[in-house]
Amino acid sequence: MAATWFSAPAPVTRRVRAYFAPVNRVAAIPTLFDPTQQGSFPLDNPPAPWIDLGWIQDFSRKAASKSSSVLSGIPAAPLEQVRETLQAQVSLQFLSWTKLTMALATGAQHMNLLAAAGGVTAKADGAQAVAAVSVQPGSTATSIFLASADAADFTAGSIIALDADYAGQTGFVGSPISGAYVRQAITDADYIRRITFNVALVSQVTPTGLTLAQPLPAGAPVAGSKLQVVTGFVDREGGSFYQEWSALFVMLGSQGERIYFHYPRLQTTASAEESAIPLSSKNPDGQARVLLKAQFLALPVTDPLDGERVLCYRSFLPAANALV
Amino acid sequence: MQNAKDSFYMALRTRLAALNPERTILLRGSVRPGILVEEAEAPFNQLPSDVFILRWHGLRVDQDLCAAMATAECEILYQTCGTQSFGGLDRGRSLSQMDAELIAILQPCFTAKLSYTATPPTPMLTQVFWDESAFTPIVVQRDLVSRSAKLLVHCYQEEGE
Repeated sequence: MAATWFSAPAPVTRRVRAYFAPVNRVAAIPTLFDPTQQGSFPLDNPPAPWIDLGWIQDFSRKAASKSSSVLSGIPAAPLEQVRETLQAQVSLQFLSWTKLTMALATGAQHMNLLAAAGGVTAKADGAQAVAAVSVQPGSTATSIFLASADAADFTAGSIIALDADYAGQTGFVGSPISGAYVRQAITDADYIRRITFNVALVSQVTPTGLTLAQPLPAGAPVAGSKLQVVTGFVDREGGSFYQEWSALFVMLGSQGERIYFHYPRLQTTASAEESAIPLSSKNPDGQARVLLKAQFLALPVTDPLDGERVLCYRSFLPAANALV
Repeated sequence: MQNAKDSFYMALRTRLAALNPERTILLRGSVRPGILVEEAEAPFNQLPSDVFILRWHGLRVDQDLCAAMATAECEILYQTCGTQSFGGLDRGRSLSQMDAELIAILQPCFTAKLSYTATPPTPMLTQVFWDESAFTPIVVQRDLVSRSAKLLVHCYQEEGE
């Protein structure tokens, strides 16, 4: 069957959507996006383990790689070019405040505020927490089984953090998403639940457990997991941990074409910063929306195709029937 | 641009029928979804209430591209007196419902372009797309409240158009 075609002008798009996926920090393995197999995914339902962070604003990517010329002859003229440095930066503003967008928009580790036990000493990043409860076998990413006495301690609408007890280990902690790097052993048994990304909102409490409004990023709980109530989130100016995530930015064109910017490794570079956008341009001193500003440095991966070190993959999936 | 205008109208009409099948209009002897194109109907003495009316305004064509892009301004007008059962006291609510329906049927901001010169319509190669709408303030005339939304509808001119 013969096809007809058209000449497609430059893509027209209005906004950019962001997806992030964890990097295995221990093994230094990023999450790779394959446009040949995953390129047509529904924007509201990205392939696992990509997490949809919604539309973003002021997306800007800046290549800072430098090339120089090798000169030859008299007078000297360029003989060839060499790439001296490889560097790229990405900046954007998130339009929502969630556990992950906050973490990505801070230059350090990001922590959960665990509900405090009664009569304990005040601490800036959360006092001693109410004791964690054990997850029962058979739990899934959205359904957590608990002993009936434990389930009664939770209410619909609360947030939970679910992860293992801290047992004195050092290095990257939090699984499968590393939330911190422990240099020397500490004494807080709840530490991993303080830094875990495995958080979710409780939509329903039953005598046998909890139903979650969103799946846990780590999937079904592993044996030995415990959970605690989270009252909010906190990050700090300072510290030595840098978030590192794989990122995918998508522009959807007016003719159905797609532009993908895939950064296998992005590390946050800037400290937490917000920008306030007035809801009404006629009233700049009125109500304002507070956006999270994020800045990232791209780190290289070695492309197994040819051994080249690269920072970003830009893919273009043309519109149907468009001349290329 | 006519194919784009037809496709835009049909997309909104299909979406409205799915969203609120109760919003209908009896026109030329047949019951249709409650949305019409003003220039494709007999002139109205007074615009009908509780339906959406598409009115086309300006046209601009960008010839510098490898496929010319045409842009037409569309105004979507709607008005209501509320319902008789509430004596019209629900006219504000009725208008809010129409606001919400219009916002919903304008998403997503694109649709396939079809040629309606023959039946069944023929799919074309490109898509019609549009910007977000800008809503005007409510106009009150006695017991009638009305509003309109304006937006730009874009399309690429294909061979033979």
